[in-house]
Amino acid sequence: MLQEENIYNLIPREEVKPPKPARYTSKFKQMAREERQEGKSGYKTMGQAKVPVPTTDNFLKKHSKEPKLPPREHVFAGEPFTYPDADRRRPPVPHKEDKPLMGLRTTKNFITNNAVGNIMSVPKKPDKNFVDTRGGDKWPLDPSGLEPKFIHKKDFGQTPGYLVKRNKEVIRAQEEYEAYIAEHFRRGAMKQLSEAERQVILAGLKANWEEIHHQYQGLSVVTDTVPKKNRKERMEAEMKQLERDIETIEKHKVIYIAN
Amino acid sequence: MAAQSPIANGDDPGSLQRLSLIGFDGTIPGGLIVHPDRQNLIYGLGDTVIIEDIGTQEQVLLSEHTNKVTTIAVSKSGKYIASGQMTYMGFAADVIIWNYAERVKHCKCSLHKVKIEALAFSPNDLYLVTLGGQDDGSIIVWNIETKQAICGAPAQVLSAGSASCVVFANNRDDLFVSAGLGTLRVWTLDVTNRKIRPEEVSMGQLKRDIRCMQMSDDDSFVYCGTTTGDLLGINVGSKMFQYIGPEKERFSKGVTAMALLKNGEILVGAGDSTVATVKGKDNAFKRTKKSKKLNQAGEVTSIALRGEGHQFFCGTSKSHIYQFNHSEFKETLVRTAHYPAITDIEFPYGTSELFGTSSFQEICIWHRATTQELRRIVVPNMTCNAIAFSRDGKYIASAWSDASVRFFLPESGKFIFDIKQAHKREVTALALTPDGMHVISGGGEGQVRVWKIKECYTNKGKTYTNELVGEMKEHKATVSCIKVTEDGKSCVTASKDGTCIMWDLERFVRSQIIFANTQFNCVCFYHGQNQQPCQIIASGTDRKIGYWETFDGSTIREVEGSLSSDINGMDITADGKYFVTGGADKLIKVWSYDDGKVTHVGKGHAMAVTKVKICPNSQYIVSVSEDGAIYIWSFPH
Repeated sequence: MLQEENIYNLIPREEVKPPKPARYTSKFKQMAREERQEGKSGYKTMGQAKVPVPTTDNFLKKHSKEPKLPPREHVFAGEPFTYPDADRRRPPVPHKEDKPLMGLRTTKNFITNNAVGNIMSVPKKPDKNFVDTRGGDKWPLDPSGLEPKFIHKKDFGQTPGYLVKRNKEVIRAQEEYEAYIAEHFRRGAMKQLSEAERQVILAGLKANWEEIHHQYQGLSVVTDTVPKKNRKERMEAEMKQLERDIETIEKHKVIYIAN
Repeated sequence: MAAQSPIANGDDPGSLQRLSLIGFDGTIPGGLIVHPDRQNLIYGLGDTVIIEDIGTQEQVLLSEHTNKVTTIAVSKSGKYIASGQMTYMGFAADVIIWNYAERVKHCKCSLHKVKIEALAFSPNDLYLVTLGGQDDGSIIVWNIETKQAICGAPAQVLSAGSASCVVFANNRDDLFVSAGLGTLRVWTLDVTNRKIRPEEVSMGQLKRDIRCMQMSDDDSFVYCGTTTGDLLGINVGSKMFQYIGPEKERFSKGVTAMALLKNGEILVGAGDSTVATVKGKDNAFKRTKKSKKLNQAGEVTSIALRGEGHQFFCGTSKSHIYQFNHSEFKETLVRTAHYPAITDIEFPYGTSELFGTSSFQEICIWHRATTQELRRIVVPNMTCNAIAFSRDGKYIASAWSDASVRFFLPESGKFIFDIKQAHKREVTALALTPDGMHVISGGGEGQVRVWKIKECYTNKGKTYTNELVGEMKEHKATVSCIKVTEDGKSCVTASKDGTCIMWDLERFVRSQIIFANTQFNCVCFYHGQNQQPCQIIASGTDRKIGYWETFDGSTIREVEGSLSSDINGMDITADGKYFVTGGADKLIKVWSYDDGKVTHVGKGHAMAVTKVKICPNSQYIVSVSEDGAIYIWSFPH
């Protein structure tokens, strides 16, 4: 709320107009008038009252009214003028009065040569143009893109060489990377039992079992003492263990050995 | 009501000088007329006919009627004004012819009963035709010079409805037309044989209720406006209905006012507050492009041409007067007034320049010197029963019939906040404490409640909340008036149950009670020498003004406030030497407090005075009445 409303503001007031300020008059008015008058009065007469008499040493001199050019800085007095590219220029055409070197003169008939050259020359092909409107401007056809140019290129539609090269590089990098990863895994992985080692272990285990089985078969029929019983039980347990090991190794073709 | 002596007792009192009057009865059909001298407006207000200068707004009041004026007519030359009134069933209703130049009554014609419906002067000011209302049903021709009736006749056949308008020919003194619901008659006047002869206009199958009429300049046609919203063209010579229009674009809510322009166009005012022109062309009426709908103005009940019609005035049923420029068809609202009864009047603290009034739907702020409306706050369909200005002038509090107290900003009229359901029934009285922080409201059920207003600042700006701090349940009926002391520590309430109670506003208990065999309407504090509220005066329907001691509630004195009717409004000057009362006897009386005698009487109100106030610097008295009129009187002391 900018200004709070109040009932007393509704009372219509007579608008009191502030008295107009006095009209502006410059305080320099008098001065300006005097100055203007002063400046004028000198020319209002038949000239200045007293003109200074010209002195004898202040006579009019030759070229004194010509504009004075600034001095040329890079040109030194006495040196001949040289162009800035003088060292790159070819030697001038020999003068007609110069003597030929060693008195050698060419026998070539330039006029005939030029004529023959012109006659034999292939005529210039007309420019390929197109005209945009009837009676309109003509424009070179070649850069306009109206003529099929690129489809006639030899390698049109082929993968550009740089892309082929790049793709090859990508594939090679991928392979290298995979090889590296495989190597890395291989290095960190557990040792695998080879097929031969496995067969050896298997054969060993079976031999052991055969031997224990043979002894087992040779046990007495009656197990009447504790040592007998113990022996029989031990042998049974060993055989059982061996059977279990054989089964495990036979069951799994690939066997890793934990570190 | 017969003229009565306004004096209760003692010497002959002086009369109050009326300074200005705000009011306009827009319900009279054709009740706003520009006098042929083009300088004066003539309109009715209550039982008064007012002649007002358009430029200087000087008013002359012609008040001889005994009841509401129902119709006004001005003769073609402007020499006479005629006005008709209504009255009670079975009594004679007068027509008064006024002499315009001298502004006095020319004669009184009383043959009609109950109500005068319409009036028309003959073009050479010889005769006046008066049309009685529904209960009278007669039409009478009067000779203006001899002030005698020439003849009379029933206005319509028995099978037809009642006639409601009458128009005289423009060039002949012996031809006039009356019309109404299902009746349209052309009358010829035979003065020598003292007869009027009607001829029915044949309308064929058409049935219309005609409400306004205009006769063309050459008397060949009569144009009638109907409640259906169309115009009828009637050939006077052949007495035949000729054409009707405008087809398909009739005026909504009926044609309520008409005026003929010199270029043949008809200005039409409609019930939906439209003002438009209609062209009579090729035996049909066509609406032209000139049409304007007035904003919230109610029915256009009268169109008054100023001169040829380059400028005209429109009066509406909501008491607006618009001034139209015909060429641009642009309106300016030149006058507003209350159209229903005014319920309250209040001055902002310490200023006599402004005052606020409240009535049905609206609160108005007026400028006293120019009598112009400054602001209008409208709340639809509610009645504002009381208003109060805060002393710092920051807001207006108002009591409404929907049981809420509403607060408004005074300049923009914006609604700030309200106390909803402040009472069980409507809020009938309201007062603010001097600090402006408490509102004391009185309800229709008899409770007096004190509300604390709190300001708080939120991100939306300043907002207000309210809190009920006190509730005083002693009155058994409507609280009609609340007055607070200067220190804000006590207040007095007057109620219709015949009690006045002084309350302690610190403990919210009764400190004193006064019983009387009346319904109190108004109460005032009397401040003695020590500026303490030592006495109260109160009055009500028993027409007596009672003086009571605030200390012990004992009666000091009782004086007869009015001979005939109850007292509605009362106000006392700041020094307590004089007080003013106004009541249903339509009189404003200035009393000397110490003597208890009437010193001055103000006559002029047309209906019962509802409230009266003395301005804070005791220079003016403002009184308001049931007909929506606001009178400003000069205070005699």
